[in-house]
Amino acid sequence: MNLLESIRVALEGIMVSKLRSFLTTLGIVIGIAAVIAVVAIGQGGRAVLMSELEKIGTNIFAIYINWRSDKPVTGREFNLNDVAVIKDSIPDITHLSPSSQTMGDVRGTKDKKYSQITGVSSDYSYIRKINMKEGRFFTDEDDAGKRRVAVLDEDLAVQMFGRSQALGNKITLENTPFLVVGIIAKGDSALGFSENPSVYIPIQAWQVMFGEHIGMIEGSASAREKVDEAMGQAVKLLERRHHDPGKYAGQSMEQEMQTANRITGVMTIVIGTIAGISLFVGGIGVMNIMLVSVTERTREIGIRMALGARRRDILVQFLIEAVVLCLLGGLIGTALGIGGAYLIARIAKWPPLVSWWTALLAFVFSAAIGVVFGILPANKAARLNPIEALRRE
Amino acid sequence: MIRVTNLCKVYRTGAHQVTALADVNINVGPGEFVAIMGPSGSGKSTLLNLLGCLDIPTAGSYHLDGMEISGAGNAALAKIRNQKIGFVFQTFNLLPRISAVRNVELPMIYAGVAPRERARRAEEALARVGLAERMHHKPSELSGGQVQRVAIARALVNNPAIILADEPTGNLDTRSGEEIMAIFQELNRSGATIVIVTHERDIALHTSRILQFRDGRLLDDEPVADPLRALVNEAPGLAEQAGPASNSAAEAGPAGSSVEQSRLAGSITAEAGPAGSRAEQAGSSGNSAAEAEPAGDNAAGRGVAR
Repeated sequence: MNLLESIRVALEGIMVSKLRSFLTTLGIVIGIAAVIAVVAIGQGGRAVLMSELEKIGTNIFAIYINWRSDKPVTGREFNLNDVAVIKDSIPDITHLSPSSQTMGDVRGTKDKKYSQITGVSSDYSYIRKINMKEGRFFTDEDDAGKRRVAVLDEDLAVQMFGRSQALGNKITLENTPFLVVGIIAKGDSALGFSENPSVYIPIQAWQVMFGEHIGMIEGSASAREKVDEAMGQAVKLLERRHHDPGKYAGQSMEQEMQTANRITGVMTIVIGTIAGISLFVGGIGVMNIMLVSVTERTREIGIRMALGARRRDILVQFLIEAVVLCLLGGLIGTALGIGGAYLIARIAKWPPLVSWWTALLAFVFSAAIGVVFGILPANKAARLNPIEALRRE
Repeated sequence: MIRVTNLCKVYRTGAHQVTALADVNINVGPGEFVAIMGPSGSGKSTLLNLLGCLDIPTAGSYHLDGMEISGAGNAALAKIRNQKIGFVFQTFNLLPRISAVRNVELPMIYAGVAPRERARRAEEALARVGLAERMHHKPSELSGGQVQRVAIARALVNNPAIILADEPTGNLDTRSGEEIMAIFQELNRSGATIVIVTHERDIALHTSRILQFRDGRLLDDEPVADPLRALVNEAPGLAEQAGPASNSAAEAGPAGSSVEQSRLAGSITAEAGPAGSRAEQAGSSGNSAAEAEPAGDNAAGRGVAR
């Protein structure tokens, strides 16, 4: 008996009791659907996360005071010379900016607010890939001249001055007026990554207003692969300059991405294990029903043997029946899984990522379940004695 | 066709030994129509299982169609059952969920016949037992007699060396039983070698030779001097289909009363038989026997036989 014939016979067997066949294969359906949907959703989520992180920049890093060291904080951990020296001596660092933040009273023509005021250098706009909606970011000259110029986040600008009213106006920071020279366009972050709206002013002007201390240094490297090494060199240089090993710590986007990847990896393993268990249980269900089916169809097996079926033919017949059953389950499960993934992706506004290899894997996996859990019943069928099988009612 | 020498079958159940068959010797020539009779427990079913290659003997040898069977393995036995033997059972044993024609195709599936050829031969076999119009019905949609005719078609379809029938009329009313015996007689006249097991003497008397069994031993081997003729009117398909080949048998063995004559008839039929089946296999439409013999004197043939 050839394969095509076996499949036809198996389909005939399955179609006799459609409901039972469907219920038998339900475990497989649910297992496969869960795998496909969860993997697709996970992939979609991961892709969104990664694209967000890439939007922010994959080559950026920050150096801050290592809070885990129990050394006292002096406020003199970073100075402007550090920034200049690091940038000059480490060629892979393309941009570097000091960064200091404080909260203060901010007043516009329309409103006032207790808001974040950030002091940075002009490099900051390159590190954070800042897009200007209106005006410009401040320059090195603004910084060196300690000029009272400010750049606002769009939300803050609208709140303080009204739509398109901020540029050229004065904004008052802690009773000191600053000229608004630029509005930063709001990012289109799908995940809602956005920091608190802030006023940005040149770091040296910030130091005049709030004191010498610098909170941290942010920078970007020439390439994603270079960032960790460049950051390490910068940390070492700082330690040398301040004779204070262990004081500084760096965090790069590369590390963040690796963490995110690790988390998705762990999730994949957890989900895979759960899916594996559900498919295993589904397989046992198939085996159970196949065993019942062999018992019920003992007489049929006897008839087939009397008509010339070899033991191998019977084995193959039942094995193929189990495989076809599992494949049908896998097919239904794949369809449901893809449907589910699209539905959830639509709700979450993620791109649904059903990769062809997931579907292929589901296909191969369900066939494998059929073989693994079909072999026992099929073997039982093949070992029947034709005389006894024919005598069975 | 069948040569059984000192055949023994012993069943062991725990400490017990049950001798189901002891030293049985039988020869069945090509074209014979033999009935095996005996009370239950006489070993007739055991013998049929052995003859049908469903079981292997404990001792002795069994030649079927020139082949020694007793040493064959499982796969070889399956092939012999497929190619050399056609089974007809008391309980019909059709697969209930598939149509008559698919049931008849089954043995050819295991013989590896191509689907188109399979369907053609299955339809042909069904036509031969008069069920051409009902071939797409499922067994549950057919009467008992019709179901058994499907089973006979299935037994025929691989052109087996012998047809083995186990109480083929046991589950049928008298009239359907008569139909079935008519078909067997027609098949026999066209050259088929048939062995049936029955406990009804009326049925056995339709054959040409009766083997009596008791307690696992062959008691008696008697020719039937004047076999009963089953009425074939109920199976209209038969006359046309099996008619031509049957003529030769009818003419060769008119009113044969002696054993020798009936044996002679058997062998003559057998000579006609293979030629006929070869013609069938070659797929020629008009079979040679039909052209050689004047068609249409079934009635005369039947008359002579009576």
